Amino acid sequence: MSKRSMWSISTAALVLIPVAVGINYIGKLFAGVLKLPLWLDAIGTVLSSMLAGPVIGGLSGLINNIIYGLTMDPISFVYALTSVFIGLAAGIMAHKGWISSWGKAAVVGLVVGLTAVVISTPLNIWFWGGQTGNLWGDIVFGYVLNATKSVWLASFVDELVVDLPDKLLTVLAAYGIYRMLPKSLIHMYKNNDNIESL
Amino acid sequence: MSLIEVEHLKYRYPATEKLALNDISLTAEAGELIGIVGKNTAGKTTFCQALVGLVPHFYKGAYGGSVRIGGMDVKESGVDETIRKVGIVFQNPFTQVTGSKLTVYEEIAFGLEHLGIARQDMMERIDHALHLLDIEAYKDRAPFDLSGGQMQRMAIASVIAMRPQVIVLDEPTSQLDPQGSEEVFRAIQSLSREGITVILAEHKMEKLAAYADRIALLHEGMLIDYDTPSRVFSRSDLAEYGVEAPIYTRVCQAIGFRMLDMDTYPVTLEEAQAAYEAQHSAISASSQEEQGGRYD
Amino acid sequence: MKSMSLYVERESTVHHIDPITKLVYIAAAIALPIILPSLHTAWICMLISFVILGMGRVLTRSLPIIGFVGFILLTVVIIQGFFHVGNETVLFRLGSWPFYEEGLLFAMGITFRALNIVGAFLILVLTTKPSDLVESLVRKGLSPRIGYVLSSVFQIIPQMMATVDTITDAQRSRGMETEGKLMTRIKAFLPLIGPVVLSSLIDTKERTLALQVRGFNVKGSKTFLNEEKMYRYGSAMRWSMLAIVIGAVIWRVIA
Repeated sequence: MSKRSMWSISTAALVLIPVAVGINYIGKLFAGVLKLPLWLDAIGTVLSSMLAGPVIGGLSGLINNIIYGLTMDPISFVYALTSVFIGLAAGIMAHKGWISSWGKAAVVGLVVGLTAVVISTPLNIWFWGGQTGNLWGDIVFGYVLNATKSVWLASFVDELVVDLPDKLLTVLAAYGIYRMLPKSLIHMYKNNDNIESL
Repeated sequence: MSLIEVEHLKYRYPATEKLALNDISLTAEAGELIGIVGKNTAGKTTFCQALVGLVPHFYKGAYGGSVRIGGMDVKESGVDETIRKVGIVFQNPFTQVTGSKLTVYEEIAFGLEHLGIARQDMMERIDHALHLLDIEAYKDRAPFDLSGGQMQRMAIASVIAMRPQVIVLDEPTSQLDPQGSEEVFRAIQSLSREGITVILAEHKMEKLAAYADRIALLHEGMLIDYDTPSRVFSRSDLAEYGVEAPIYTRVCQAIGFRMLDMDTYPVTLEEAQAAYEAQHSAISASSQEEQGGRYD
Repeated sequence: MKSMSLYVERESTVHHIDPITKLVYIAAAIALPIILPSLHTAWICMLISFVILGMGRVLTRSLPIIGFVGFILLTVVIIQGFFHVGNETVLFRLGSWPFYEEGLLFAMGITFRALNIVGAFLILVLTTKPSDLVESLVRKGLSPRIGYVLSSVFQIIPQMMATVDTITDAQRSRGMETEGKLMTRIKAFLPLIGPVVLSSLIDTKERTLALQVRGFNVKGSKTFLNEEKMYRYGSAMRWSMLAIVIGAVIWRVIA
């Protein structure tokens, strides 16, 4: 039996993807119900990264946006790349052991947030001319654009004020749930043992 | 050679200390219905999953001994080969729905598509399975729209369509209401009548007593007894293993009604009735004798 | 059961066109305005997408989504009109703020292109059953395992939503506060989503087992219960779209 690396896909991990997409949806829904000024729509993606690694995390992100695009909001196709990188970043950090405490999880949150900003900014510029569609972010965009005349800087700052707090809380929420999961479940995805003989 | 041969089967889950299965040996013949009883930690689920190879291939862990189905070694062959001979149905009907199919008919086709069965053959098998499980009426419904009992019968049909020689049912009625359970038990009976070998882990002892040819009593991963329902349920130490005999057995035990010319107690209503009538006629015969003697 | 899809069942030629051809259309509709970046390509492509939506008799169904995107695009027009880098020609003034022509044209370009892309995706989304889309992708060589993931999402999410409703009711009846100060609401978030997230993660184990025993991992080629639906002019359409895109590239290089 070959040892599984962090890049492989098992059936258990594959079955995790639809649930991750569902969790993303539920997060977004309750953020709306509670009128939180955040999206919180990537908790499932981050959880799947923590459980099953970067490939599943990235796939969850990709499939999440495809499904959203097909069922609710075609714009989310445009941001599929951002979701993929959120999953990859969270998965690589988790695999390197950055989910052993709340403090470390917060670092993961900031890294994931920055990754999302770096990927989304060019997409925003290409699709919307730099805005994000978020009211507060776009006011900042107009202000920075007027002050600096740099679309890139304005768009970057716009995305930063919106995405960084959102992704930080997303990763912390995912970590909170991760800590509650039974050991046997976590083991199911990290299963790279051989069968011993008795 | 028996269809199912289990020899000195031992198993331990990863990251645990205790053996979940401890030296189990038993055989079952083609066409038999074998009941598995024991309390929750007895190892029933682990044993059921060992018959299809999910133990050890899905969980890994430590494994010893062997399970052979029709001569094929389950550990050597792996899950993907074993499922051509052995099907398994789990407790919760909801989690067994694949979720990728829009109708009951398509849901049953899932396994056949993955086995690469030709389309014509596939449709014949599905129709037969729908008929056998008595769910033809729901074939165009959405899988999640069914009731628990209907959904569990769909799960059984999905496995039956794959034409296994053995079907393992791990407490298939534990999450169903009485009506759903009754539907599933009727379905299991018709499978057994078709000649399919059935392994049934179950808490409802009255049902096992009525349908099973033999009962395996498990406790703490060990096989305590493997015998006819009458013998297993007549054991005086049954309670020590967390198993309650069928209600008829308990009543007959309490009032001392044994089976005619045997040392076991009745396990079904019919047997209890027969035992009662035998006892009754014996009593009236003896009382007639007494009366006869008095007036003689 | 509530199904999660924007698909609208109608009798139209567009509905009969196979999903792959619609995917090729999306690719072409995105590519053309990039290859030929003039305002005219953008609005012509947008118009074609809308005409096809009309032919598919789903134009009214696409209005809410187009309206939502349109609202964001309106803010784009405003912000670019006032702040676009390269603004020179003043169109009008709002108080002391000048609104520029360059910004307006730039924003128009973005608007046409965005609506074109949204329209192209809507053709696929509104006139194709998700299950048909997944099945044709699997026939074209998409891994059946990924195909499974895509199609199961459509049913697993409504299943999870049903659980959500039950749990929300339970939490509310226990007196959890879901209104009030921001901190109160943030604190309510995890207890609300936690139970359903946990139970659906735990369910994945049994679903994994159930899939494995139904041959999900069996190697070798798969068969299909449903017969492949072929659209007669599908390949002709795909080739002509490819020809148009190549033509556009040549035009760009020469002109």
